[in-house]
Amino acid sequence: MNRLTPVIDSAALVEPLRDFLPRQRWYSGTETPASVVVEDSRVLDSGWPALVDLIVDADGARYQVPLGLRPPDEWPDFLRGHDAAVMGEVGEDGGRLLAYDAVLDPVLGLTLLDVVSASRESADRVRPVGGEQSNSSLVYDDRLILKLFRRIHRGRNLDVEMTEALSDAGFEHVARPLATLTVDESDLAVLQPFLVGGTDGWALALTSLRDLFGVGDTQPVPVISDDMPPPVVDPGMAGGDFSAEARRLGTITAEMHQASAAAFGAVAGDPQRWAAGVEAQVEAEAHPGFDKAGARGVLDALRRVGDGGPAIRVHGDYHLGQVMRTDAGWYVLDFEGEPDRPPEERRRASSPLRDVAGMLRSFHYASVVAQLERDEDCTGLAQAWEARNRTSFLDGYVASAAKAGLVPEPAATEVVLAAFELEKAVYELGYERAHRPDWQSIPLAALQRLGAR
Amino acid sequence: MTAGVSDSVSLTEGSDERWFQKAVFYEVLVRGFFDSNNDGTGDLAGITEKLDYLQWLGIDCIWLLPFYQSPLRDGGYDISDFFTVLPEYGDLADALELVEQAHRRGIRVIADMVMNHTSDQHPWFVESRRDRTNPKADWYVWHDDEQRFSEARIIFVDTERSNWSWGPERQQYYWHRFFAHQPDLNYDNPEVQQAMLDVVRFWLDIGLDGFRLDAVPYLFERDGTNGENLPETHEFLKRLRKEVDATHPGRVLLAEANQWPADVVDYFGGGDGGDGVGGGVGDECHMCFHFPLMPRMFMAVRREQRYPITEILSQTPDIPEGCQWGIFLRNHDELTLEMVTDEERDYMYAEYAKDPRMKRNIGIGRRLAPLVDGDRKLAELLHGMLFSLPGSPILYYGDEIGMGDNIYLGDRDGVRTPMQWTPDRNAGFSRADFAQLYLPPLMDPVYGFQAVNVEAQVRNPSSFLQWIQRALQVRKRHNDTFGMGSFEILQAENPSIFAFIRERGDEVLLCVNNLSRFAQPVELHLSRFEGRTPVELVGRVPFPRIGELPYLLTLGGHGFYWFQLTEGPQ
Repeated sequence: MNRLTPVIDSAALVEPLRDFLPRQRWYSGTETPASVVVEDSRVLDSGWPALVDLIVDADGARYQVPLGLRPPDEWPDFLRGHDAAVMGEVGEDGGRLLAYDAVLDPVLGLTLLDVVSASRESADRVRPVGGEQSNSSLVYDDRLILKLFRRIHRGRNLDVEMTEALSDAGFEHVARPLATLTVDESDLAVLQPFLVGGTDGWALALTSLRDLFGVGDTQPVPVISDDMPPPVVDPGMAGGDFSAEARRLGTITAEMHQASAAAFGAVAGDPQRWAAGVEAQVEAEAHPGFDKAGARGVLDALRRVGDGGPAIRVHGDYHLGQVMRTDAGWYVLDFEGEPDRPPEERRRASSPLRDVAGMLRSFHYASVVAQLERDEDCTGLAQAWEARNRTSFLDGYVASAAKAGLVPEPAATEVVLAAFELEKAVYELGYERAHRPDWQSIPLAALQRLGAR
Repeated sequence: MTAGVSDSVSLTEGSDERWFQKAVFYEVLVRGFFDSNNDGTGDLAGITEKLDYLQWLGIDCIWLLPFYQSPLRDGGYDISDFFTVLPEYGDLADALELVEQAHRRGIRVIADMVMNHTSDQHPWFVESRRDRTNPKADWYVWHDDEQRFSEARIIFVDTERSNWSWGPERQQYYWHRFFAHQPDLNYDNPEVQQAMLDVVRFWLDIGLDGFRLDAVPYLFERDGTNGENLPETHEFLKRLRKEVDATHPGRVLLAEANQWPADVVDYFGGGDGGDGVGGGVGDECHMCFHFPLMPRMFMAVRREQRYPITEILSQTPDIPEGCQWGIFLRNHDELTLEMVTDEERDYMYAEYAKDPRMKRNIGIGRRLAPLVDGDRKLAELLHGMLFSLPGSPILYYGDEIGMGDNIYLGDRDGVRTPMQWTPDRNAGFSRADFAQLYLPPLMDPVYGFQAVNVEAQVRNPSSFLQWIQRALQVRKRHNDTFGMGSFEILQAENPSIFAFIRERGDEVLLCVNNLSRFAQPVELHLSRFEGRTPVELVGRVPFPRIGELPYLLTLGGHGFYWFQLTEGPQ
């Protein structure tokens, strides 16, 4: 059999990459890159099929592109329906090769496991996790998960760094990394235990809301007899009540912050600086429906707070989609922070209440999104659900966080929290206007509520 | 429902000693099943008369609640003579006839046995309490100090203030973990151990296929302990098992130990082998009840998510080869909430026991049908899970027709009303005068015998009873796998879907349950079974072949599927 050499001239890949990159979900640009440079090319498997891992600079952003290579006459089944993952034919001398995203190839998926774990782990089956934005993940035997980072930053990956540090500090609700692939001090991939039986918090919250909307009758109930008690429509009485989960989530969030403070240290928070940061975002937002008077009131209150509690390294992008319910309780995922901010900013200490605000905003989103699924008006039930779970989450959080000195006294906590909810809602408004104009009403309603307080 | 008595189904000594691992049990209240002599009280001969019904239903083993001589201050769990049948229930000949007739129909019979205590009217105690020197003086636990063993909790907190009561004749306190009229036997006395082993042997000789051992964790008492799960108790159970196996192989011991699964496994024998993953040697009881699973199943359907169930199953250790869990939805006692966390207990109270009368001790006394507000789909889903999860299912008499309860009856009698056979007088349970009945049958418009009875449901092909009967037939065809197969929970991103694989030898069964009342989709990762064809077990309908992509299923509200994953094309 004619064995082809997988060594390809990097220059020959530039044009195919220019065409390939904009088709990938993890590509952060919007257009075809003007400049593409293959910074690094490593052959991870010269066998058959071959595996070449590329580090590519496209218009200044660096990406990891693992490529599988097979003879062009061999069009494997796993590529069917995945046209975007096919780069096309590449190579000049020694024959042409079919190049494609290696993540889809079950043979190369096992090779990646072998490389990252330095042959310490093996598996029978691998499947790619679909639908991801900034990374690509592979699941092995429902036991291990390998996350390949697509967007590569210099230095440690924040997710790996944070997960390891929290785990070392005794926080049990993260999937501790088992192995990492690190090249030139950049983390390219991480292997973690797969969270068996996991469902993300967003799906659970929607399940709870659907249940509530299913019981709650939005029509007035006819009076059959004088002594008939009115039906109870109370999220606490509904079968799918989420509040116990919300409370547990609050508790582990506080534990996470405690571990983070132990690992990275805590400094005194600076409400003036926080206010200045939020204010800049408020003033930059020019949506016509956004009445800034209320927002300024929230910030004035923040400026008057003497002690706003400590600043620590936080999760940074904390919401229901970043927490996973498993048979062993809740787990926190994805510590990369907001992907649009530079890494050094994401590492900067901030108020732990920023994470709390993120989760509370997520409760609001869930209650509205579940309502949008339905034709009839469930506003009353949705608000009752949000209020109940907000309270439970905060109760769980404050009970643990107060003991650890993570929150200021209750009145100040409320003020700081409102300011960060404001910040989050302003960010959401900008995001929704750009991506989902139909949903602008969600942050607008929140901004109105915050301003009216 | 013609009698299907033939020699081909009858049981012979030594046949299949592991029968209990794949059996379906049926719990019968002797008093409440059928009255053969029209005195208003059910009896053993009444059960014999209804064996054809039970055979048709498809159960494998009857579990009789206590039928021994007793003053009946605790439903017969206060035994005053272990060797005599309570006269209202019949006599030894009736017991012998029941066992024989059941065996002819391929049905086994086990019975409750109370090892821990007797009635205070038992001649042993009558003698023991008289003075401190009589021959039985040391058969019960007597002491001068009522502060001894104070670490032991009081179980019946509603009625008892102490585990000690005063015996005025011999001027000492006697120990009782349950009611004051149920003194604990003193197992430190070898004569007591021997006497109880004699009791067991007597009933095995009569032909009983085993015992449900009541309240086993409490046999011994030791200073400075809570008096539960003591090593001495396990030593005695090992001795009991050894004697039973030696003289009567193939009989079963089913332990009632209301503890966390990790502690319960000790009652199978050998603990977890010290490695925390179960295993053990299995030299104590063949079966134990899995108590925490039951309230978790109700929790899961209320919450519309699987975590209440999967959490407890992931905390359940492996059990020794040749052992089995006993699993159930309801039984003659209250919904047991001792094994859920405080938060969950509060929740269960809020959901099911809004009426304070429904609270019984630390639980809720309701039957299955009213517990699910009469929701047929939900009752089917719960039974579907009961029949397919690892363990031997135990049905409670009357639940197969969706009987209700009467919460206005005292103590636990609310779920012990007469079996509803027909829409006729006294529910066809007895032809005695209504006033003579031990308890009135249910007569409310929803669950009363006019609406809910065996006769009507046998005649109606779409009745709940017929559904149960068909489900049991399906289970029986696959009971090797349902009973003894491995158990693996499948990944599902949808929290309302509870899917698992049961596998044994070549047979692979896939069970998918929708815990939500709404229709739900799920994508299952079945690539391990690529190329197999799922065939639905009830209708034998082949589904699309499993490929390499996630397998998409949609389920109706509270729907569930059982599939056999067959090899090769269909």
